[in-house]
Amino acid sequence: MALRTFVTTLLGAILLAGCSGANEDTELQEVNLYSARHYDSDLPLYERFTELTGIKINRIEGNADQLIARMKSEGTNSPADVLIAADAGALWRAQEAGLFQPVQSETLTSRIPANLREPDGNWYGFMRRARIVAYDAAKVKPEEIDDYAKLAEPRFRGKLCVRSSDSVYNLSLVGALIEAWGEKRAEQWVSGIVANMARPPEGGDRDQIRAVGAGVCEVALTNSYYYIRMASSDDEADRKLTQRVKLGFPSLDGKGAHVNISGGGVAVNAPNKANAVRLLEFFASAEAQSHIAAENNEFPASPDVTAPSPVDSYSNFTANPMGVAAFAARQPEAQSLMSAAGWR
Amino acid sequence: MAIKATFASQRRISVPAALAAIAGLVALLPLIGVVAAALFGETADIAARDVFRYAATSAWLALFVGLATAVLGTLAAWFIVMHRFPGRDLFAWALALPLAVPAFALAYGYADLFDVAGPLRMSMRGNLGFDLPFGMRGFGGAVFVLSCAFYPYVYLAMRAAFLNQSVNVAEAARTLGCDGWHSLYRVALPMARPALAAGVALAVMETLADYGAVQFLSVQTLTTGIVRSWSVYGSTVSAARLALPLLATAALLLWIERRGRQGRTHESGNARWRPLDVKQLSGSQGWLAAAFCLALVSAGLLLPVGWLLWNALETNPDWPRLLRAGGHSLMLGLMGALVTVMLATMLALGTRRLPMAARLASLGYATPGAVMAIGLLAPAGILWNLMPDSGYGIAIALLVYAYAARLMAAALEPIDAGLTRVTPSMIYAARSLGRSETSSAFAVELPVARGAMLTASLIVFIDVLKELPATLILRPFNFDTLAVLANNYALDERLEQAGTPSILIVLLSLPAVIWLTRKIAFSRPGA
Repeated sequence: MALRTFVTTLLGAILLAGCSGANEDTELQEVNLYSARHYDSDLPLYERFTELTGIKINRIEGNADQLIARMKSEGTNSPADVLIAADAGALWRAQEAGLFQPVQSETLTSRIPANLREPDGNWYGFMRRARIVAYDAAKVKPEEIDDYAKLAEPRFRGKLCVRSSDSVYNLSLVGALIEAWGEKRAEQWVSGIVANMARPPEGGDRDQIRAVGAGVCEVALTNSYYYIRMASSDDEADRKLTQRVKLGFPSLDGKGAHVNISGGGVAVNAPNKANAVRLLEFFASAEAQSHIAAENNEFPASPDVTAPSPVDSYSNFTANPMGVAAFAARQPEAQSLMSAAGWR
Repeated sequence: MAIKATFASQRRISVPAALAAIAGLVALLPLIGVVAAALFGETADIAARDVFRYAATSAWLALFVGLATAVLGTLAAWFIVMHRFPGRDLFAWALALPLAVPAFALAYGYADLFDVAGPLRMSMRGNLGFDLPFGMRGFGGAVFVLSCAFYPYVYLAMRAAFLNQSVNVAEAARTLGCDGWHSLYRVALPMARPALAAGVALAVMETLADYGAVQFLSVQTLTTGIVRSWSVYGSTVSAARLALPLLATAALLLWIERRGRQGRTHESGNARWRPLDVKQLSGSQGWLAAAFCLALVSAGLLLPVGWLLWNALETNPDWPRLLRAGGHSLMLGLMGALVTVMLATMLALGTRRLPMAARLASLGYATPGAVMAIGLLAPAGILWNLMPDSGYGIAIALLVYAYAARLMAAALEPIDAGLTRVTPSMIYAARSLGRSETSSAFAVELPVARGAMLTASLIVFIDVLKELPATLILRPFNFDTLAVLANNYALDERLEQAGTPSILIVLLSLPAVIWLTRKIAFSRPGA
């Protein structure tokens, strides 16, 4: 192919691409969503929002930190209206980078409990995910895992499975322990966990649950929804496995299980701020929370939203009331502490 | 008169050189962004001990994958070109197929298939009473998976090199009593060294830059450190800094490769292009060769992709969404291939006097995607701020630019190799017939390199389909590609659903791979 043909084809393609973007109706009500949640089950929810409000959602999905970096580069011209993430730490980093604006909304403050949102209204949590324990019911008694501290004890030497230290869920858990216990005691706990590992960290949460089923370990740290998803799976082997491997909710200082959030806030330069707030309020609605709970098996954030099946059989646990903003800020500390202890 | 003209043209800046300078700058801009990002700002608190461990793992991984791909790719090419055995014509193109499988998809497939709690090993333990002594998650697994993914680079390069060797040399070697294996490592291999170096360089650079596969296989390399410093500590500065050793290593590799080539051009102006002497492998030897090829194809494609496919059968894919994403992948692949090859050709044509400087433009290939994204965000930020509300068109243009900067090496290597077939005597002939430097570049060099340009576009096309980090960070609203969907599902630990988009990537790449291998088969002069 000649050089000239290359150039013409290319220019044509770019022009075409440019035009199809430019032709869009600018009068249309829209809201631009940067989402670090990448679940298919969120798509019908977005459609529902458009149906209710007439506001179209444009979305870019990506890793939270890349979205944050993109928003920083875009600067004041950023088209982003709302940023959502599946971990409080990511929301905190976005806030630190100055990417959120505080939002005061009666609906949001009344629907979302105070400990599940940022105190100044920079971001709000809509769904809860507990970081808890899957255990081999034949070998472990429930009272042996009713406290996070017990997981680090010699009882579980070589019998614990957990994923690597850079998993945000592990970082948030250790952040919460630092917040509750102080650095020194958290460090001892982390060393105990490293000593208890049945194998070097590998795979995701679902792999840890399966490893308990395969007899590689007796207990595993996991997020609640991975287990619930397996227990209600179409896959018979997964369902069978959850008959032997049970879900336990350890407590932190007797105050309940560590809970992380999925949530979001309004971008500091949001061009469609009013629509952005409406989107957040929609996420906080009972309808949206029930939908996500049913589809992605997270727990609703609002106490008045009854969890649908299959989440309902697990939702009756005590959640630690620690403010999510408190442990979110401690992720870097947690990473340093875990790396130093040899948690890969 | 002619001599005078040559001197005069050396003083002026010629058109090809100017074009090359532009292309080089375009490719280098994000890398300059990376270096700049590494110099200023707050760093993360990653322990030196960890960085050392990551770097050592990266180095060992690159070494083992480099060795394995060199041996596997060369052997496969040697069997295919120089021998006749059962299934040879099929294997000739099937051996390149793993090129169509993203390394991260291979890792998904293998990690799941050989997981300690997976169905395979569970049933082995249950029914046979023993377990495999290994899994895929770990260093050995990573070497295996990445070698399976990247050996086709060496295979393709070596196959072209073996095909283009002169019969004279082989015959001369034989009269001196050098036959069979001896002729491979004493004659054919030394002559094919530039091709081997080019193939292995691509494999090693891909290995150094990989994040998706090693992350899935729980091996922590420098790219792990990069992602940690960015994601956990929020420091793009440290991320960029950790990438500097990777860039330095890649630059060193390229330099060694260039040094090795100096004074080793084999001008075959009086070569004879009779068909190569192909040796018939008999009986067990033939079947052994066939088994070797089958094992490679199985390990690189049939086994892991088959497993993904088997799992994907249970799911109910969202076909409209997958097809839209497939359309996007196809569009980006075509545009990326066009632009990258155009830039690489400009660079290769214009810089034959400064080969090392030109090669710096290849470094994007060894740069981890996350770091490239940091480098790209700087120029992208300028565009975004100059043209607010630019939307879709600008986003696509930025993406295509990102591919060009990142995949320049994949296009530059084959085009450069193609241009080496332009012998100095051809240029002298054109110049003595009154052509200027520019005009001889277009009239002689470009047509000779046309085949290489097609090869380069196919490789870039396949690479774009597999590309993830730049696509994730720069794409416009409501725009998925197949690689993005596969990644989303895998992140969410929904491996079954990650299978369908992965397999669609393979299917989209398939025609390109087949075309590529057929083209190489006919590349021998006079064939």
